[in-house]
Amino acid sequence: MELGQHISQRYNQELENIRNQVLKMGGLVEQQSINAVKALLNHDPELAREVASRDDEVNSMEVAIDEECTRVIAKRQPAASDLRLVVAVIKTITDLERIGDEAQKIALYAQKLSLRDTVNDMHSELAHLSRRVLDTLRDSLHAFARLDANQAVETLGQDKHIDKEFENLSRLLITHMMEDPRRIKSALRVNWCARSLERIGDHAQNLCEYVIYLVKGKDVRHKSLEHIRAKHFPMDDEETPFVTPKLAD
Amino acid sequence: MNHTEKIQHSLKKRHAREKRFRLYGLLSVSISILFLLSLLGDIGFKGMPAFWQTKVKLDIHLDPERLGLGPNPDQDDLFQANYQRLIADTLTRMFPDAKTRQQRRALKNLVSKSAAYELRDAVIANPQLLGQTRPFWFLAKDDVDVYMKGRIDRNLPESQRRIKDYQLAWIDTLKSQGRLKQGFNTTFFTNSDSREPEQAGIRGAFTGSMLTMLVTLSLAFPIGVLAALYLEEFAPQNNRWVDLIEININNLAAVPSIVFGLLGLAVFIGFFGVPRSAPLAGGLVLTLMTLPTIIITSRAAIKAVPNSIREAALALGASKTQVAFGHVLPLSLPGILTGTIIGMAQALGETAPLLLIGMVAFVADVPHSIFDPSTALPVQIYLWADSPERAFVERTSAAIIVLLLFLMAMNALAVFMRKKFENKW
Amino acid sequence: MTLDKTALVVDNNNNSTEVNLTGSASDTADMLDMTIGETVGKALLEDAKLNVRHANVFYGDKQAIHDISLDIGKNEVLAMIGPSGCGKSTFLRCLNRMNDTIPICRVEGSFLLDGEDIYDRRQDPVLLRSRVGMVFQKPNPFPKSIYDNVAYGVRLHGLAKNRAELDEIVEKSLRRAGLFNEVKDDLHKPGTGLSGGQQQRLCIARTIAIDPEVILMDEPTSALDPIATALIEELITELSEKYTIAIVTHSMQQAARVSNRTAYFHMGKLVEVNDTDSVFTTPQHPLTENYITGRFG
Repeated sequence: MELGQHISQRYNQELENIRNQVLKMGGLVEQQSINAVKALLNHDPELAREVASRDDEVNSMEVAIDEECTRVIAKRQPAASDLRLVVAVIKTITDLERIGDEAQKIALYAQKLSLRDTVNDMHSELAHLSRRVLDTLRDSLHAFARLDANQAVETLGQDKHIDKEFENLSRLLITHMMEDPRRIKSALRVNWCARSLERIGDHAQNLCEYVIYLVKGKDVRHKSLEHIRAKHFPMDDEETPFVTPKLAD
Repeated sequence: MNHTEKIQHSLKKRHAREKRFRLYGLLSVSISILFLLSLLGDIGFKGMPAFWQTKVKLDIHLDPERLGLGPNPDQDDLFQANYQRLIADTLTRMFPDAKTRQQRRALKNLVSKSAAYELRDAVIANPQLLGQTRPFWFLAKDDVDVYMKGRIDRNLPESQRRIKDYQLAWIDTLKSQGRLKQGFNTTFFTNSDSREPEQAGIRGAFTGSMLTMLVTLSLAFPIGVLAALYLEEFAPQNNRWVDLIEININNLAAVPSIVFGLLGLAVFIGFFGVPRSAPLAGGLVLTLMTLPTIIITSRAAIKAVPNSIREAALALGASKTQVAFGHVLPLSLPGILTGTIIGMAQALGETAPLLLIGMVAFVADVPHSIFDPSTALPVQIYLWADSPERAFVERTSAAIIVLLLFLMAMNALAVFMRKKFENKW
Repeated sequence: MTLDKTALVVDNNNNSTEVNLTGSASDTADMLDMTIGETVGKALLEDAKLNVRHANVFYGDKQAIHDISLDIGKNEVLAMIGPSGCGKSTFLRCLNRMNDTIPICRVEGSFLLDGEDIYDRRQDPVLLRSRVGMVFQKPNPFPKSIYDNVAYGVRLHGLAKNRAELDEIVEKSLRRAGLFNEVKDDLHKPGTGLSGGQQQRLCIARTIAIDPEVILMDEPTSALDPIATALIEELITELSEKYTIAIVTHSMQQAARVSNRTAYFHMGKLVEVNDTDSVFTTPQHPLTENYITGRFG
């Protein structure tokens, strides 16, 4: 996968520009998520407010990239890897925007939760979940930046851990709620935050799938991880550039 | 100095050079036109009088006695009778002052020798004329004709003139009596060559040329076109033999025409026994000479047919021959025809090879077939140009005019053919 | 906790990314140095119309086509793409022996049309070309009337018994080429007077008038404007219901639009052949990828 080397220098620049904008948007979204979680865990309403206010920036970036992709499709009629790049980018920015929304939600809850110091005993579980989610997000953005399908499929495997963490946290929250009905409201809020984090994880999964589509040309959505590994990453995850079928007479 | 200034600076020079070049071009074109005009003017000036001929009216008494005829003469008697005597009688009667032998001969030479034949033909056609006195228009002798056309200056001393003073007096008398007139010279077109300028015509040479061209065309066109078609469409490319043939054809076009004459003499007349001086021999020799021209121009025309047409026909399942004759030949025909006519025009003007195969002979008859002895127009011109009589000078020019008109007509035909076939689509 | 570390290094002022492209990118770079090797994808079909095996074509000493094996299926539109001089036109012209007209051209290998050897000594090229028609890059109608253009092949092969039948064939062919309504009043006007696109459709009508089994098209729209091109492309799609079509094109979009399968030629070799959809979204060979995406080959 190379973006450069087009005969048209401007085409190179346009694709490069799209990619850089996506990376920039990814960086922003990741920063938003990190800050939202930080605000939540450190009871920092100031930071939470900042996260909430920067969501517009994410949204406008999505629109700008979307337009740029439309322009490239209209002007260049991209094919093969270029086409996959543009398509993957269009999908990626949607997911990034959603991640941004989730971060905003977390930030909003963080503002409300910080008023009452009630979640302290759920802190470690929440921190654990958010670390997993943010790691997954970082890895998937890494995979996109390096167009690394191996890392992408690796990251896809993280989802089940996140789901498990989320389940554990939910169970814990239910226990809390049953123990002390007064904390139901804040527990629900924590649950919503956890839910948002889990959603961020899901979106990160999507990003990985797009990376695999972009690199391998294979749509791996709605397929089991085992299936993907077996079919597209044979020979112990080592990449085969392409198959050379034997020409029979 | 910036760019614009630099360019402006050089512009003056460039424009001057352009103007200068245009001037040179105009100059050279004017010079060529001047040459052409002076040539045509000279020929026209010299040749035009030949299309008019002076005639003399004599009242002839067709006295059967003087003719030595009996009461009931048959055809043979009429044919052999001495009509010349009647003309001489008439002239003597009109101008009794001719005393000396020399003057009498000069008197007889006022009219052409053909006068007697004309009289004979008139009597044979209508024997009733015998015994009557009738006016007849006879061709004037060439000297009278030339004088009447103002080509002899009567102010010159008598010794330097072809016409003596007493002849001038007779001519003046005839003129005053209205017995001289100038009419269109039909003899020039209906007669063949003759020793007497006033009787000489181009019909024999013209017919000879036509017959020769016919032979040339009917041989050179099919052979040339088929050869060109084969070389372009069928012959293997990059073949040594084909290359050799190509080079030879090109060389043949550059061979001096007299060499073809020698070849014709040796091969056609010497080996194959083709009759000498016949249009057949001339046609064969000119065919050899024209073939390279036709082959080369035809090949160029065939080459100009776009390959896409050949491919289109081949792709529809046409065979090579179908492509060649169904598409290539019709499309290249305008070019081929132009080339052929140019080649024919060249052949028409050719003299040298014809001299060698004997078409230079004095032939007083109009040829009736390609086997009859004949001359050709350019050869006739060459012959006349050699003759000393003043009247032959204008006939030479007149023949040149006819030849040029013939050539122009052929070229016009070439242009017309090309336009016609090109306009088809 | 890794919260303070962002994963990405993004430099807004510089368009070139500092992220090292790893993974498949390096594989691609390696592939470019490799020989083209064997054909990638789906070159052979079952029950094909044309079978070509180990085709080698030489122009004098120069080899234009290197060991190409390729099948063209029944009623399939096969597009052949590739840079200039890659041998795609040469290959196409082998299929109806148009290369016979080039004396220095030598063809090796087996070419089977319905199992019959095209280059068999007993195979008459005239018969072959009536079964495998061809449409050329430049519209090349004969300088005859529209009617005569279409009727030419029919007359040549004696396919019509009488005038009425000939009229019918001409009309049918013109209709099928989508030209009849435009020229029905001008059938006896010269074919060369039509517009470029109409001329090309006339050439197609002329080709289908003799009802071939295969139609070869050598860049049929390269001289036409976009609307004429669209009409021809539409026509190709319609014709594929009845005929097997092999089309050489320089327009990748065209190949993508009209063909079922696409073959990519490079330097006289068949690099990749596959279903058009997969060639244009996920080409398997880096050379194909480079060509399709407009990169340096």
